[in-house]
Amino acid sequence: MKFRFLSLIKNPNGRAAEALTALTANGGDINKGQSFWTSVKKQFKKNKLAVFSFRFILFMAFVAVFADFLANEKPLIAKYEGSIYFPVLKSYAVDLGMAEWPSDFQNIDWKQLEYDWSLFPPIPYLPKNLDENNIHSVSPLGDQNVKSRRWRHWLGTDELGHDILSAMIHGTRIALLVGIVSMSIASLIGIMLGSMAGYFGDEKLKMSRGRLIMNIIFFIFAMFYAFGSRGYVMKDAMDESMGSFLLEMFISIAIFFIVMWIGNLIARLLKFIPFFGKKISIPVDIIVSRIIEIMLSVPTLFLIISIVAIVKKPSLFIVMGIIGLTSWTTIARFIRAELLRVRSLEYIEAAHALGYSEFRTIFRHAIPNALSPVLIAIAFGIASAILTESTLSFLGIGVPAETLTWGSLLSAARQSPTAWWLAIFPGFAIFITVTLYNLVGEGLTDALDPRLRK
Amino acid sequence: MLKYILKRLLIFIPTLLVISLVTFTISINAPGDPVESMLNKSTGGEGQASQKLATEKAYDELRHQLGFDRPVFYFTFTNLTYPDSIYKISKISHRATLERLSYNYGNWDHVQHYYRLLRNLENVLYAHPKTDVTAEDLNKAKGYVGTLYDTYDDTRAVNILNELDFIFHNTPTLMSVIGSFTATKAAYHEMVHKKKTWKRYIPVFQFHGINNQYHNWLFGDKPWYTSLPWVDDSDVLYRSKGFLRGDFGVSYQDKRPVGSVIWDAIGWTMSMSLISIIIAYLIAVPLGVKSAVSKGSKTEKVITTTLFMFYSLPSFWIATIVIIFLCGGDWLSWFPSPGVAPIPDDAPLGYKISETCYRMALPLFCWTYSSLAFISRQMRGGMLNVIGQDYIRTARAKGLDERTVIWKHALRNSLIPIITLFANVFPLAIAGSFVIEFIFSIPGMGKVSYTALMARDYPIIFTVFMFTAVLTLIGNLFADILYAVVDPRISFSNKRK
Repeated sequence: MKFRFLSLIKNPNGRAAEALTALTANGGDINKGQSFWTSVKKQFKKNKLAVFSFRFILFMAFVAVFADFLANEKPLIAKYEGSIYFPVLKSYAVDLGMAEWPSDFQNIDWKQLEYDWSLFPPIPYLPKNLDENNIHSVSPLGDQNVKSRRWRHWLGTDELGHDILSAMIHGTRIALLVGIVSMSIASLIGIMLGSMAGYFGDEKLKMSRGRLIMNIIFFIFAMFYAFGSRGYVMKDAMDESMGSFLLEMFISIAIFFIVMWIGNLIARLLKFIPFFGKKISIPVDIIVSRIIEIMLSVPTLFLIISIVAIVKKPSLFIVMGIIGLTSWTTIARFIRAELLRVRSLEYIEAAHALGYSEFRTIFRHAIPNALSPVLIAIAFGIASAILTESTLSFLGIGVPAETLTWGSLLSAARQSPTAWWLAIFPGFAIFITVTLYNLVGEGLTDALDPRLRK
Repeated sequence: MLKYILKRLLIFIPTLLVISLVTFTISINAPGDPVESMLNKSTGGEGQASQKLATEKAYDELRHQLGFDRPVFYFTFTNLTYPDSIYKISKISHRATLERLSYNYGNWDHVQHYYRLLRNLENVLYAHPKTDVTAEDLNKAKGYVGTLYDTYDDTRAVNILNELDFIFHNTPTLMSVIGSFTATKAAYHEMVHKKKTWKRYIPVFQFHGINNQYHNWLFGDKPWYTSLPWVDDSDVLYRSKGFLRGDFGVSYQDKRPVGSVIWDAIGWTMSMSLISIIIAYLIAVPLGVKSAVSKGSKTEKVITTTLFMFYSLPSFWIATIVIIFLCGGDWLSWFPSPGVAPIPDDAPLGYKISETCYRMALPLFCWTYSSLAFISRQMRGGMLNVIGQDYIRTARAKGLDERTVIWKHALRNSLIPIITLFANVFPLAIAGSFVIEFIFSIPGMGKVSYTALMARDYPIIFTVFMFTAVLTLIGNLFADILYAVVDPRISFSNKRK
């Protein structure tokens, strides 16, 4: 524990709070209640608007998770011919292949059944169902051809008779999923590359010549055996189903790592030859900075649109993946800058002195101390990912036609200009979500700004 | 400084190389057959032999003209089953099947043999005289042969071959064809029997030289020295001068040169974005300064909140709403409905100007408001930073009046972050135009690239993509240089971070 105190005392420019991060991140607690994150939390809580936004996002997450229970054509609980059913829950089991519908329930209209009693979700419609009685965009304020108020379309319907409110509830799921998945991919890449660049700089990553050469050669081989010669296998699997594609992908990645491992084994032997054993440093920072520079000069929206447009089977996951692959630069730049600072702090030196491996030092000690600006980037990143996805579905690019998202609902408004509800509600949902994430980002920026923290 | 600029210009090269490779890879993997879509009719199927030959010839000619009869890249890194002369096969769909067959059976020679015999069988079928008796069976056989071109799955191929077998053996009039059919069938079975799957796992490196599609797209096949005055090359026919010499190819949609398509469109986008940027800066800078100076007051709160709202408002939503509610329809019709109607040339100048302003007001508004919000938020941040500094206090202590302090001393330094934004103006203009031009149907770059994307017109997409990248690079460099000009503390000559 001694070195930790040292780092506190010796830290000359009074950035004790940052040094403390290391302590709390490493599990040490010298000063309970005044840790970095506690003070950040305190500061964040002062910003009422940001706190409200955060809570509202949690509420939206709740809506997204329980979308099937909030808007569904099936009853939540129903007594039918003497026995009690939980159709919504059961549909999960059916989707997972663990159960099957009784023959009574196959291909039926759930609303037409004669139940003894039943409890329907608040919105008794699914986005994919069409209400034949209310096609051609029925207004939420006007007369609707429904049995009672219970079955009213509270936000109207579109041209084909989809219930807008239900589509919006299920659209929440897509919007949040896009934000979270794409930002997870982006942070994974950004943190990896950024921390390598920041921590190692241009000199600190040393490797024997043999290992470098072997890694390059075997990387080519690994790519060949994992992806090159298995190209058709993966393509067939992709045409078959997402599951089998993921399985093949997993096999490919396993092959990749096995080949790389063999290369490194050979490198270990090569070390005994003096020429190959000589250590050289790898300019990680230069390489990563160049990659970032290139990424920054690529017109991102254009790149996303052109990649998405050539994919044969449009899928939301491809959109998410591409957004993630193109938006990691901000995170990488933030974490690089942070690690440039962190790596010269004494506690990292102490970690070296204790003989910790580089891997452990980076991942357990350096990165946790540098994560705070990444949070800001992630909050803003989610906002822009949601915006990008809704732009794409508004343009009708990349998202399957049968999937109703906020963006595609909004684009329906262009076809039926009299249907103001199609223009107002989905757009408002996009606006609110983007605003909320931006507000949280602002709040985090303020809370993490050392000049404002007293 | 000069050294710095040169260094930055040198970095342009690898960056552009990577971007060109990315776009090229995308275009190569794009589905669809550009040659076919340009010819606008499919080959094969019904029709007479002469007609079929004519279409095939036209196809090959166009393919040659577009340069698709070359290898794709300088080299291929692949496995041993990969056919080295695949680019010679003209049809894209045939190529895909043959690649797959070669992968499945690992024997390109046999695959080629089979393909040749299959082509021969097809030709024989088309040359066969069509009588009322044979017409139905003949067409059926032609159909089956056509599907064989797209079949790589063994069971399916065998099924089709058996069907053909049945037709040929039971139709006496088709007896003359049976010879070429049995040869094809035998070739197929030989190909399957002499399977060499181990070849899939041997990596090979094939080198194709500079006569490839990528090289040609970038540099063209016209050697540079032929433009010298004393070289006479009038009798040689070159296909392209290459991207770097301003030959961007022809559009697949209407065979117009891409350069002229883009030239027609770029005027709209550039003038719109220039006006929008000027408006945005004119409003945003004073607004940002105002809100920074009067921090804490009610006006400031209103300004900041409004700007924040503007910042998060998706422009495609606002554009949709504005069109629905303000451009005719069931609500107000204050503005004309979207689209560019031609203004008569002989109209008076005043009318022309007012009409254009009237039409462009809404698109400009949608284009401008978000960047306005963004710039003024940045301005406010920069100003707040500067106002707290010592030299501002000194200026005030000197007895300068508040106006001079803010507009002369503080503004200059807080403009620095704004300059970096300026770098992104032009690339953003192209990207931003995408949605707005789509909604308001303005025939600018965004609209052109949208239609090109929908029609998979890759020469256009390529060019727009590369242009945007170049503009971004130049913009970044420009911003960095301006940075040094405005802020004497920044110097590029001695690099000290």
